[in-house]
Amino acid sequence: MSGPSRRGRERAQLGFLLGPVSAFLTIFLGGPLAIMLIYSFLAPGLYGGVEWQFYPHNFGRILGFADPEFEDFDPVYLAIFLRSVRIAATVVIITLLVCYPAAFQISRLSEKRKSFALFLITLPFFASLIVRLFIWVLILKKTGFVNLTLQTLGIVDEPLELIYTEGAVILGMVYIFIPFMFLPVYASVEKLDWTLVRASQDLGASGFQTFCRVIFPLTLPGVIGGSIIVFIPSLGNFVVPAVLGGAKTLMLGNLIEQQFLAARNWPFGAALAMLVMSIVLLLLFIYVRHETRRGDDAPGIR
Amino acid sequence: MNFVHKLGSLSLIVYVFIFFAFIYLPIALIVIYSFNADPVNMMRWSGFTIDWYRQIFGFRNASSEAALYIESTDQLLAAVRTSLIVAASTTAVATVLGTAAALAVFRYSFFGKRFYRVLLFVPMLMPDIVLGIALLIFFVGVGISLGVGTIIIGQCTFLISYVFIVVSARLAGMDRTLENASADLGADEWTTFRKITLPQVMPGVVGGALLAFIISMDDLVITYFISGTSTQTLPIFIFGMLRRGIKPEVNAIATMMLLFSFAIAALGLYLNRRKR
Repeated sequence: MSGPSRRGRERAQLGFLLGPVSAFLTIFLGGPLAIMLIYSFLAPGLYGGVEWQFYPHNFGRILGFADPEFEDFDPVYLAIFLRSVRIAATVVIITLLVCYPAAFQISRLSEKRKSFALFLITLPFFASLIVRLFIWVLILKKTGFVNLTLQTLGIVDEPLELIYTEGAVILGMVYIFIPFMFLPVYASVEKLDWTLVRASQDLGASGFQTFCRVIFPLTLPGVIGGSIIVFIPSLGNFVVPAVLGGAKTLMLGNLIEQQFLAARNWPFGAALAMLVMSIVLLLLFIYVRHETRRGDDAPGIR
Repeated sequence: MNFVHKLGSLSLIVYVFIFFAFIYLPIALIVIYSFNADPVNMMRWSGFTIDWYRQIFGFRNASSEAALYIESTDQLLAAVRTSLIVAASTTAVATVLGTAAALAVFRYSFFGKRFYRVLLFVPMLMPDIVLGIALLIFFVGVGISLGVGTIIIGQCTFLISYVFIVVSARLAGMDRTLENASADLGADEWTTFRKITLPQVMPGVVGGALLAFIISMDDLVITYFISGTSTQTLPIFIFGMLRRGIKPEVNAIATMMLLFSFAIAALGLYLNRRKR
């Protein structure tokens, strides 16, 4: 076994293992992303398609410098953008409030019950997303489960407007993203050092103080991780608003879909998608930096 | 004080029950109402029937005389077939490529290893709509016509990541002493790989493949953009149905899809626990 031939063989094995996957991802992941980036700076053609010229106004239409030749700046796109951010943030907060206490209680169960509870929480993640949303259509629609029940019991006379509202969109997202938030939060809660909590209580801290200054900071990594994992798919979501939302709950995802399948303004759609992706990358970057810094410091309790 | 404490932990226990009820009651509801006989309003209970199940398997019912129902049954079966073809192909490709990538990253040292680790997380973290439209622009720009082929390619770009992560987790937790022992006892690299490494990695590979299969069967957003006008997978069929108007047999389809994915997920989790 001479040195060089062994190294040569390893190189060959490595090429065999990594070659196909690298080629595949370069062509079918790198290629599409590069073309999308280029498209977002091209002018839309008159009848669909693109004009090959540099055109920054796709981003301008959203951010406030529309092409002066064709249109005035219309804040409707900015409004949709802000609404998407607001809905995604609301979904994050609600899933957090729902999952945090549950994670706490489940972490204190016996081993056997604990793993069963975790199994029950992960299971819906594998069930079809569209089916889980469809269920909420049946529950919330005008002749749906909630309205029929309320009317039969005589609580309301007229059916309530539950579906096609912002509330329905938020509820739908909370329902499908619960496992995404629960698992990171649970991982943090599970690792929580209870001796620190007891020490805090022995030293005379109230329950509220202990929570704010010991428990919450120690579980913060899971909270932040879960929040990012829920925020990312909520922001660009188009299925939930398409199924449970109405015209007033149009989100970025629906706007992008319209540009591609109805309005046929592909460059503008590409610019919107780039905007969504930049926000996601920014968030991930902040998160990774935060995590690496945490790794360097001693675990901090204020 | 003690009383307050007990009340607190009791309310937490009650809360956990509400939490699980929130997750599972809607699912129970759809299963129950898939046996509802009312053909007009699916949520007004008017008797037990298995007609909707008979209908999706192609049997004619008294209520299915309208040609509309038969046509949608044909479309449904075609969608199921497309979904299965796509899921089988993507699972095969993504499992091979993802496992190879995981072996390379965990078993070899080379320049750019960290880059690969990050790169293989990217498709999973990218919002699916962004990936969907990027692929659409790409396929149309390059001139590949949309259909089953583009769906398979498109889904593989992110399914590779899932397989990579599951297999990596397995490799990270693996005991390397057995491989060293095998080498010490004179087995060549290929024999060691085949007889020692592969059987040990296998649960991870099977788990990754099952996950890829489920996610492929369920993918809506990316497939929606790159499927073209004439190809429908099952989720896209249901999505279209929700937009056009719901027919009662959807409940039965939905229930069967839930059972199918729960069965595969339970199998995967079971295998995962047993092999460890």
